[in-house]
Amino acid sequence: MNFEWQVISNNLFFLMGGLVTTFELALIAIAGGLTLGILVGMGRLSTIKFIYYPATLFVNLMRTQPLILVIFWFYFLMPLILGRPIGGFTSAVIAFTIFEASYFAEIIRAGIQSISKGQIDAAYSTGFTYWQAMRYFIIPQALKNMMPSLITQAVVVFQDTSLAYVIGLREFLRSANVVDAREMRSVELYLFVGLVYFIVCFSMSQVCKKLELKKGNA
Amino acid sequence: MLNYDFKWSILWADPYGGWILEGVVTTVKLGILCCIFSMLIGVVIGTFRITQFKPLRIFAEAYTEFFRDIPLLVQLFFWYFAVPSLLPEEMRIWVYQEIPDFEFWIVVVGLSLYSSSRVAEQIRAGINSISPDQFNAALSTGFSHYQAYRYIIIPLAIRLVIPPLTTEILTIFKNTALAMTVGVLETTFMSQQVEAYTFHGLEATTAACVIYMIITLIVVGAMGWIEKLLAVPGLIVRKGANS
Amino acid sequence: MKKKLLFSTILMVMLVFTTGAIAADTLKRISDSATFNTGVRDGSIPFGFHNDKNELVGFSVDLAKEFHKALEKKLGKKLAFKTTVVNPKTRIPLVANGNLNMVTGSATHTVPREDTVDFSVTFFLTGSQLLVKKSGGYSTVKDLSGKKIGAAQGSTNEKTIRNLNKSGYFNPSVKLVVYQEHTQGMLALNNGIINAYCTDGSLLAGMKSKVKNSDDYMILGEMLSYDPYAYILPENDSNFRDFINEQLIRMFVDGRYMKYYEKWFGANGVVPFPMTDDFRTLLKLQSWPL
Repeated sequence: MNFEWQVISNNLFFLMGGLVTTFELALIAIAGGLTLGILVGMGRLSTIKFIYYPATLFVNLMRTQPLILVIFWFYFLMPLILGRPIGGFTSAVIAFTIFEASYFAEIIRAGIQSISKGQIDAAYSTGFTYWQAMRYFIIPQALKNMMPSLITQAVVVFQDTSLAYVIGLREFLRSANVVDAREMRSVELYLFVGLVYFIVCFSMSQVCKKLELKKGNA
Repeated sequence: MLNYDFKWSILWADPYGGWILEGVVTTVKLGILCCIFSMLIGVVIGTFRITQFKPLRIFAEAYTEFFRDIPLLVQLFFWYFAVPSLLPEEMRIWVYQEIPDFEFWIVVVGLSLYSSSRVAEQIRAGINSISPDQFNAALSTGFSHYQAYRYIIIPLAIRLVIPPLTTEILTIFKNTALAMTVGVLETTFMSQQVEAYTFHGLEATTAACVIYMIITLIVVGAMGWIEKLLAVPGLIVRKGANS
Repeated sequence: MKKKLLFSTILMVMLVFTTGAIAADTLKRISDSATFNTGVRDGSIPFGFHNDKNELVGFSVDLAKEFHKALEKKLGKKLAFKTTVVNPKTRIPLVANGNLNMVTGSATHTVPREDTVDFSVTFFLTGSQLLVKKSGGYSTVKDLSGKKIGAAQGSTNEKTIRNLNKSGYFNPSVKLVVYQEHTQGMLALNNGIINAYCTDGSLLAGMKSKVKNSDDYMILGEMLSYDPYAYILPENDSNFRDFINEQLIRMFVDGRYMKYYEKWFGANGVVPFPMTDDFRTLLKLQSWPL
């Protein structure tokens, strides 16, 4: 079995283009998912039934579904709702944001619950409203506490972007596939793809470990 | 606004209903097989990770990091398209032709290995969370190392680890959906197949969503029943942070 | 309580979805959005594929550019030319739900598909064939009995193989492995995972020409089905369909079509595929008086 590594160097520019798309998709999904997740996480702790039940329903529904199915669902559904066509990237972003938000919501919820009640009582007694207390005291502390879990989830999102493959999005894995179809060098290409993903995710998880150690005990 | 012609009847029309049912059976088979294999391998790797013997520990750590940091889809593609071409010619022909349902079994291999690393991680966390006092108490009462593990630590670990393992089993079932990309006729694949023949993608995909919901409910129910079955009266089992 | 809530929510969602397909006005949509959004194929050589420079090119891509020019002239404004890559599974739903204005690829015009979308006049004639490795020693299609044949999900070729299995043509029946697209099937054939790949003859010729070890492959002669290619158009949009048909007929008549045909299917083309007499007659007979 002879390896032809030049297939990677020859197509490096094209492959890197796919990697850029992957990063773009991941960053937008993480940012959007986190924002939506904070809202849903807060909703999960709300005493208002009107907010609590939809939030709980949303989280539990999303967690029963495979992401690949959610991607297909939004790909069919989005144009119907919006009444006009949208691109693969946009529908992937929407699907990822909504899906990952349910996971971020659970992490945030645990984070908020881990903060002692004394904090919010102190905030109220100093005259802050609920939203101000959340914005300035609770959420920042929750985020800091849950940073390891959040980073782990971010790594998961980064890996999940490879699933956008099924709607033809030209991200990293699909770029490798396109080159593979022409060059027929599956082993080299998929090893390369695996290596790049490994480097990115491994470094992130190392950062995560350092954070956990700094915090003391999780 | 919703410019779409809904036709829910395709879901139970013949032959589409039969296809979806076939898909569900395949998903369940795939899920159960992967659960069993990943548990077996995961327990082994998990114990390697806490053992005193350094080489085994390093191996287990590398194993876990490797499978966790590469997306499952990339791993499946690698197993399906790349690995067999590394085998010598005769073995390759045997693998492709003699094994019925090659696609199914290669996904079992890929998904089991991937999931085993996650199971190993849960088991390690579970065993680590058991206070060393338990172990010391066992030793001081005259148990040997092996006996302490077999009669005290492992049973305790199993009960501790059931909630995160439930999540893991659900994840395995959800990950079976990725098998569709290499031609395995499971639920997601069949929903897309129905879509390809009838062009009613929304109905077909919704049906698949409902099916996964039902599978989740069954798994959660079953694990809850197992937990009750194994419960030791008076034993306070701390719920994991990800419940 | 939670289960009841879930159930009632689902019921509510279901009731919200009303039925009814409205006639689309694609020309207006293109004009309003100032974009001509067409689906193209990737890996369908030479109708739509990535060349060595990784640019998306092809016979249908060229014809799409002609449509774009004609649209700009008709609507009297500059239009953006947007291409979206589709595969046999997504091409019809994307036109049916309005995501794309049309698909300029290599789709077979069949009666069942007419339920969901409309088609232009036939612009290409071919049929299902099998691509095999010479080392397999197959000479007729029946030799593949009991072996593994690959096809793309949702394509007519997949249905052809299924029907052949059902009718007992293959004895013992072949194992059909369904992939998401042609590139995966080609990979599988190359690595020996399947013994043959089934798709339209012209596509097979294209796939064979693109691959590095082209001489290892051969196309088995028998045509397993009749595949007239047409462009996929939105359902119930007469105006747009008339417009596209008019453009195609103009191209048949004034020689632009033959120019592109020579470029891609001629002797020096990417896929040498001589035009059969039937094909030539078909083009002539479809050219309604302008």
